[in-house]
Amino acid sequence: MLADAKLSHTAAMILQAIHAGQIYGFSVMQMTGLPSGTVYPAMRRLERDGLIVSKWEQQSIADAEQRPPRKYYRLTRNGRATLEAAYERYPLLEKMIPSPEVEQA
Amino acid sequence: MNRRWFGSALARINVHAASLLVPHVDRPSWTREWTAELHHLCHVPEDEVPESEDANPLEFSFGAYNDAFWIRCDRLRADGLSGLRSGSAGRCGLLLATAACAALLICFALPGARNALLLLPYRNSGDLVIISSRGYGGAQSPSIALADYEEWTTDTANLYREIAFYRPTIKGVHLAQHDAVRLSVAQASDNLLRLLDLPAVPLLGDASESRLVLSHSAWVAHYYEDPQMVGSTVDIDGRAVRIAAILPDSDWRLPGKVDALLLENPQVLAALPSQTRGFVVARIRNSAFPPPRGGWRRMIETRDGVTRGFDCISVRHLLGQPFVFLFALLLASLALPATTALPLGDYPRRRDHLPVSVNARRWIFLLAKFALVIVIVDLCSTDIAYGLYSSDPVTALYIQIATAFPALLFGFRWILQDQRKRCPECLRLLSSPARVGQASCNFLSWNGTELFCVRGHGLLHIPELPTSWFGTQRWLCLDASWRSLFPDGCSPSPGMV
Repeated sequence: MLADAKLSHTAAMILQAIHAGQIYGFSVMQMTGLPSGTVYPAMRRLERDGLIVSKWEQQSIADAEQRPPRKYYRLTRNGRATLEAAYERYPLLEKMIPSPEVEQA
Repeated sequence: MNRRWFGSALARINVHAASLLVPHVDRPSWTREWTAELHHLCHVPEDEVPESEDANPLEFSFGAYNDAFWIRCDRLRADGLSGLRSGSAGRCGLLLATAACAALLICFALPGARNALLLLPYRNSGDLVIISSRGYGGAQSPSIALADYEEWTTDTANLYREIAFYRPTIKGVHLAQHDAVRLSVAQASDNLLRLLDLPAVPLLGDASESRLVLSHSAWVAHYYEDPQMVGSTVDIDGRAVRIAAILPDSDWRLPGKVDALLLENPQVLAALPSQTRGFVVARIRNSAFPPPRGGWRRMIETRDGVTRGFDCISVRHLLGQPFVFLFALLLASLALPATTALPLGDYPRRRDHLPVSVNARRWIFLLAKFALVIVIVDLCSTDIAYGLYSSDPVTALYIQIATAFPALLFGFRWILQDQRKRCPECLRLLSSPARVGQASCNFLSWNGTELFCVRGHGLLHIPELPTSWFGTQRWLCLDASWRSLFPDGCSPSPGMV
């Protein structure tokens, strides 16, 4: 997907949440306030469009904490560029979900 | 604590139930992710539980159903018909179901076919009969003289609970503000509607006067749905008659085309010539006269030394087409073994034993095809017979038998042939037929056609000439080691070695 492709507000919020460090599906839900039936399908679409990638946590880490491994998500270069473009369309996005750089500033 | 544990357990069950809705290929990944997130959610310390609704494990698990629904739709969108083509059992089922729906829609669009499909509107129609002097085939035309009807009203009280007469004739009906129109008016005894026991047709006026009950279609066609019509007086052949009600078209299912019913009191009816012929409808008394289950029953009458026979024909049999279709179904079932071999082939038991569900799926698919073909043929034959020939129900019966029987026979043959050409495991159509062997070597070897399952489940050998050692088609199971040779062989197979 091109960086200037138009994102829906939901997709932009999810991208921003992942950018802000919420890398698990449930934490994205918590941060955005979107329900699970919306977040996971949206994340699958974003993954298919190449804006985010998912990876399973290492089994050894999960075993050490005696829990099942979780799937985490991160932005791709395309995803980051698309999010930058989305800030123009949704100027309040950064204020709603502050990214680490903004918080540090 | 207990409440939280109970909620978590229920959420886990929910997530696993939702995973069953996800397509097989995506299921493990989704179940794993949901379960991991749910585990995380259930093990957050109580003081760190976030306030959002989805922080509740149960709420989260209900969201999984939405996810599953989206995944299912997404896959259908992505695969489209090509996905169904590769899984041709699903495509076959979808095509048959679509054909059945189309036939049903056509049936409802054609008034005659719709009436034949719907149940009779008359209450207790099991004891409702039409009396005919011309047998089953002649029941569609008026055959009973008025004199006979009048005698039966008094003589046959032990046989019939109630008996009514009607005779359709063309009459000119004139209303002041409307033009005179020629309608098929059935002059009837005033108990006809009561005998039919229609759910709700309120009649204006009293039984001592002649009353006209107009059919809905005549009311629409000739009087433009004028609401002032009911209660007004019309002129019928010089007689003033009040319109007492409008009869829904679906309520008149008896023989004869009727635009209006002219309910007459017995004195007016008695003034008609005694040899006037009409239809006689009766409610039989079950104690003296068991309902004619086989369709009709003969009634013998001896009067003045002359013996005459009349047929009491069940209205349900005369108008209800399921009996005719069932007869065609029986004929087709009996004729099927004469036209094609019934065995589906030789399918040897696998060493690794297929799961029961895989075997059951094959038989369920076969039965579903039979059920759908029967429904399609029933609806299509009803469309043809009653939709196009609704004016003559007896002709329609013959047309339905004539269309349903060959269609069922053809359909059943196709079902068996289609089933033989499918892989018993994945139910896909076998492909790439190849001729194997030579006819000249038939004595020492076999020659015939070989087809294979694109998923590598096995090969089907169909002999060119049935022999004592190779009489019917034979399925050869292939184990998992062969899968890499086949184009679709990577997908997991139930019961794989």
